[in-house]
Amino acid sequence: MSEPSRGSRISRRSWLLAGLAAPLFRARAADNLAVSFDGDNLHIASPDLHFLAGKPLARLKDGGTVVFFGRLTLFRDPFVTPFRRVDARFVVSYDIWSEKEARFAVTVPEPAPRTVLLPASAAEAWCIENLAINASGLPPDRPFWLLFDLRTVPRKDLSQVLGDSGINIKNFFIEFFSRQPGTDDPQWTRPAGPLRLADLVRTSGRGKIG
Amino acid sequence: MKYAWLGCVLLCRLLAAAPQDPEVNVNARYTVESVILSGQGWTTNLRSETTDKISLGLRHELVALIGQKLNPAALDSLASNLKKELSAREVTHRVVRGETPEEVRVEFEVKPAKVSADLNLNQFVYDAKQGWSGSGAAGLTAGSHSVSLGLVSDGDWLDERYAGFRVRYEDKRLLTDRLSFRFQVESYHEQWNSSTLTALASHTELTSEAYRARQNFQPSLTITVAKPLTLEVGTRLERFEAEDPTAGTLASDALFTTLRYHQRLDDSANQQDLDGDCTLQAATRAIGSDYVYSLRTAGVRYQFRHGKHTVTDNAWTGMILGRAPLSDRFVMGNTYYLRGWNKYELDPLGGNRAVHNAVEYRYGPVELFYDAGAIWDAGQQPIPRQSLGVGLRESAFSLAVAFPMRSGHIEPIFMMGILP
Repeated sequence: MSEPSRGSRISRRSWLLAGLAAPLFRARAADNLAVSFDGDNLHIASPDLHFLAGKPLARLKDGGTVVFFGRLTLFRDPFVTPFRRVDARFVVSYDIWSEKEARFAVTVPEPAPRTVLLPASAAEAWCIENLAINASGLPPDRPFWLLFDLRTVPRKDLSQVLGDSGINIKNFFIEFFSRQPGTDDPQWTRPAGPLRLADLVRTSGRGKIG
Repeated sequence: MKYAWLGCVLLCRLLAAAPQDPEVNVNARYTVESVILSGQGWTTNLRSETTDKISLGLRHELVALIGQKLNPAALDSLASNLKKELSAREVTHRVVRGETPEEVRVEFEVKPAKVSADLNLNQFVYDAKQGWSGSGAAGLTAGSHSVSLGLVSDGDWLDERYAGFRVRYEDKRLLTDRLSFRFQVESYHEQWNSSTLTALASHTELTSEAYRARQNFQPSLTITVAKPLTLEVGTRLERFEAEDPTAGTLASDALFTTLRYHQRLDDSANQQDLDGDCTLQAATRAIGSDYVYSLRTAGVRYQFRHGKHTVTDNAWTGMILGRAPLSDRFVMGNTYYLRGWNKYELDPLGGNRAVHNAVEYRYGPVELFYDAGAIWDAGQQPIPRQSLGVGLRESAFSLAVAFPMRSGHIEPIFMMGILP
């Protein structure tokens, strides 16, 4: 069922909420989120976003696997009322025998596993490109807001919770409630909006993803 | 929102066999060339070296990685097991390029716990003749320093039943890895068997009189001469309170030195351990001792393991020259030497000469042993004695029936407990 159109009016309360919510996002002016529409799905691009860096990169360079969890959410008002959401998981590892250029293997496990082997910036771009959200049923002239969120899945949680004798409840609670967000698990958030389908750059159809 | 994320993250991890699946990590196509285990001040390359810091089973699991394709999921599990075994604060692992292309080296780094507390039951045995004996200790470890407080009630090891406490401080790294320091204080009250008191009355020249309490202060330094050879030097300052309080206190102050050797030889199917030690302890009036004697012991232990089969030979001998207090004399007929015999029947005062050999064969938990030895005093004719036993042993827990081999009758002794 398509979303009911309410025209282009945005209430003063929504604008106020948007004003309050904006500083909560760690987005800077330079961290633009480009949104395009292929007729079915909304695609995003964020050339300034480099998530293969810092602690995740160090873990990858140590031969480990890092799982990134991405989410796109559509809001009918400035980041208050979500009406559609899509999640995706990217499993990344670093080829320690890379020759001249560092190569990262990125696997999208669902629905059918796909793996690519790319340099860092291309691997980042590939992840973001594969995160698309279905925009069917959205009126072309109705404003909406889009929020992109990306974070790493903590490495330690299950290894400490699942023991030889099953699930250790104590460790489960310790692990989840003692971890300070942002210290071990980096998170990137990029907002965009207000947007209208009619205003977005149209790209050639890439099939349904989201 | 936060809880929605939490749920997603948890779900992700529950599904996340995927990130741990070997085929997901691009390095899973490479072969493991070597496995390095390192900690504070030590490194072991498990391809060419061995270590006794971890259990045999875990070591085999780590060594089994070599020559196989890299399995990142296995590394997480092994790091977790290492953390448990070594009581470490954290064990991290990394994969780096090997010497040869397409091969990788796996490195585990052990970060020791800043402060850890332990509660150990060191010994707990029941001997049908001597009753219960036990010792336990609570300890704190911070870096290389450890302190423990233990309680003891032992009617097995010596000809006396002693009960009291034991406090120990140890610095495993005194300025250098090659030097460690230990200071132990013991304070015990004694109970005597009537046969010991009777024998004492007629052999006052052999040893001390019975005492009601004794204290021992024992500082020592252990020097790693050349791995695996260590030398321990120290003093043993003992005080004996006479049964009659008006008789005062007698001292047994001795210097001692012990040379120890441990070698482990491993191949893919077998494991061999060789341990050797010899001790010289000398008490003289020059350092204020009321007892003048010298004590020498030497022992060799060899163990061969193949699958579930384990064969051990443990040979030991000791000699005392002079008049040593009762607590320093040799005793047999306990749960260590000439098992099955009654120590008060063999020699209620102990002996100043002893020789012993124990052969043990174990298949899984089933154990058979054969003890042979003699205990006597200088000038006496040694009488060789033997015993046979059968039992179950799993880790430190032991349950056994020992049969002293003598003519006339069979009188088995039942033993059970936790043995070091």
